[in-house]
Amino acid sequence: MDEEPERAKRWEGGYERTWEILKEDESGSLKATVEEILFQAKRKRVFESHGQVRLGMMRHLYVVIDTSRTMEDQDLKPNRLTSTLKLVEYFVEEYFDQNPISQVGIITTKNKRAEKLTDLAGNPKKHIDALKKAKDSTCGGEPSLYNSLSLAMQTLKHMPGHSSREVLIIFSSLTTCDPANIYELVKTLKALKIRVSVIGLSAEVRVCTVLTRETGGSYHVILDESHFRELLMFHVKPPPATTTSECSLIRMGFPQHTIASLSDQDAKPSFSQAHLDSTSGGPGLSMGGYFCPQCQAKYTELPVECKVCGLTLVSAPHLARSFHHLFPLEAFQESPLLLHHRERFCEACQGELKDKSVFTCLSCSSVFCVECDLFIHDTLHCCPSCIHSRSAP
Amino acid sequence: MVMASEDEVSLLVIVVDVNPIWWGQQANREPQFTLSKCLDAVMVMGNSHLVMTRTNKLAIIASHCQESHFLYPCKLWKSGDGHGDDNASTSGDGKYELLSVANDFIAEEIKNLMSRTEVKGNQTDTLLAGSLAKALCYIHRVAKELEAGQEIKSRILVVKAAEDCALQYMNFMNVIFAAQKQSILIDACVLDSDSGLLQQACDITGGLYLKIPQKIALAQYLLWVFLPDSDQRSQLVLPPPVHVDYRAACFCHRNLIEIGYVCSVCLSIFCNFSPICTTCE
Repeated sequence: MDEEPERAKRWEGGYERTWEILKEDESGSLKATVEEILFQAKRKRVFESHGQVRLGMMRHLYVVIDTSRTMEDQDLKPNRLTSTLKLVEYFVEEYFDQNPISQVGIITTKNKRAEKLTDLAGNPKKHIDALKKAKDSTCGGEPSLYNSLSLAMQTLKHMPGHSSREVLIIFSSLTTCDPANIYELVKTLKALKIRVSVIGLSAEVRVCTVLTRETGGSYHVILDESHFRELLMFHVKPPPATTTSECSLIRMGFPQHTIASLSDQDAKPSFSQAHLDSTSGGPGLSMGGYFCPQCQAKYTELPVECKVCGLTLVSAPHLARSFHHLFPLEAFQESPLLLHHRERFCEACQGELKDKSVFTCLSCSSVFCVECDLFIHDTLHCCPSCIHSRSAP
Repeated sequence: MVMASEDEVSLLVIVVDVNPIWWGQQANREPQFTLSKCLDAVMVMGNSHLVMTRTNKLAIIASHCQESHFLYPCKLWKSGDGHGDDNASTSGDGKYELLSVANDFIAEEIKNLMSRTEVKGNQTDTLLAGSLAKALCYIHRVAKELEAGQEIKSRILVVKAAEDCALQYMNFMNVIFAAQKQSILIDACVLDSDSGLLQQACDITGGLYLKIPQKIALAQYLLWVFLPDSDQRSQLVLPPPVHVDYRAACFCHRNLIEIGYVCSVCLSIFCNFSPICTTCE
């Protein structure tokens, strides 16, 4: 277990003279330095393009939230639990936005036990409702890594081989109370190809380091709330697929949306299958909806797994949402403004180029400003000029 | 009706399809509705939007088969209100100066655009996805440049003439999802043939789709259906939503299928099961 050399801890390295970054100019003002720092902060988003590496598109992810005594600490406002639950809500929304055909489940651990808050499901509403209700729960006792991992493992080991199995643990305590040897469990997790990542809220814990290193996940400890958010968003992107995951064709249905109105001859109101079990009230009787092509069961929302025949129902835009992961946009080349002698206008937003550097797309040589570069890489995922000169992706 | 306060800015971006091949054929089919008549109607719509509230903003993009060009506002124009440095820009009929300057600019730019581009090769499709991408970048810039305390609501109106280009599907979907994330509505006013891509765009972003029965009444339809913004639309009786076909097309035959097989790695869709995916293996 100790063959891999530990990387040097921060206190083992030399001194960093951080005060030397600030430089005053002739009049004694720090304005240029402050602008430089802001500019670097904008560019800090690291988008590493995975290139031709296969990504795991269909993901089954369990989020384990530690609700032990240490979560009542107030170093994250108002307390760690409330802040974590709010960020996990945001994470769930972004996750389904980027991975529409994946599933998420939530587990909480306290008092040396682990409990499933929600089962693995593809609908964000259920998870968000459960998270909102969990805000009132009390924290107490110690967490148990072993129990939460074995609970997640019970469901994940039955998942099909082509999907990626992941666990994300948000761990705040410095101790864990396990009924058996956790290193044996780590071996089992590795054999089942379950990838475990941890986000620590207090400090680095050795058992988490070993756990994540053996299973191929990542381990980070947060500095503050915005860093926490950044680390969570890091897990929204699909991870590179492990080499042994099988590629197979999955059977899916693409139902039509029928909007029937009362004036149609054959229109009959019907119940949606998803509402039969729900206790949220309301009659649930509606005219139109999505009908499963195999068994004609009705649903009001997609994506969903048909309860009657087990067919996964999606619509084409859901698959299209993941395409930008398969064809990622290359990073643009940064060059200083002074060397740039052509037009002084950004080609996308028609604004003047005022920033320190401009960004050039390598395939079509058009020039963009800093804001457009960020927008194109974060949200748009395609270069506005390239889609003019080429007609196919 | 609630009056919009100084703090709310409503930005309308109109994307006009000026595909020269389609408009050339149109001039032979129906001589009373040509590109200049269409642009007259668009100018009326733009002027009406600017006149509704003082803080409203406008942008017009012409979507050609080789480029997308901003007809308004002009790049060389620093601020949104005209400085009126030309004597020629003050029109004699007492019109609000901003409107007359805007109309003159639009007319000038479209003339330059149509005369300078030559259609080469077989690029006959309108580059609509590119124009929408540029519109989104422009909206993003305007939203960043607002003064403190101002909120912005934006929407894009597409006036479409020629047919869809199927090769642009992926770029189009990227643009639609980006618009949905930024809460920007995409409305579509279709002159000739129905467009599946625009129907999906309007459905996903929450905008309105309308195929006009009579082209010469374009100005009337634009003012009736597309001028009110999203808050006011709940109070009006507007054309009903169309049925959007969300079925996927299989990669092998391009047929629309209801049950298909999706590759877990590259997400390509096939109608028959085969052990190896042909796109990615």
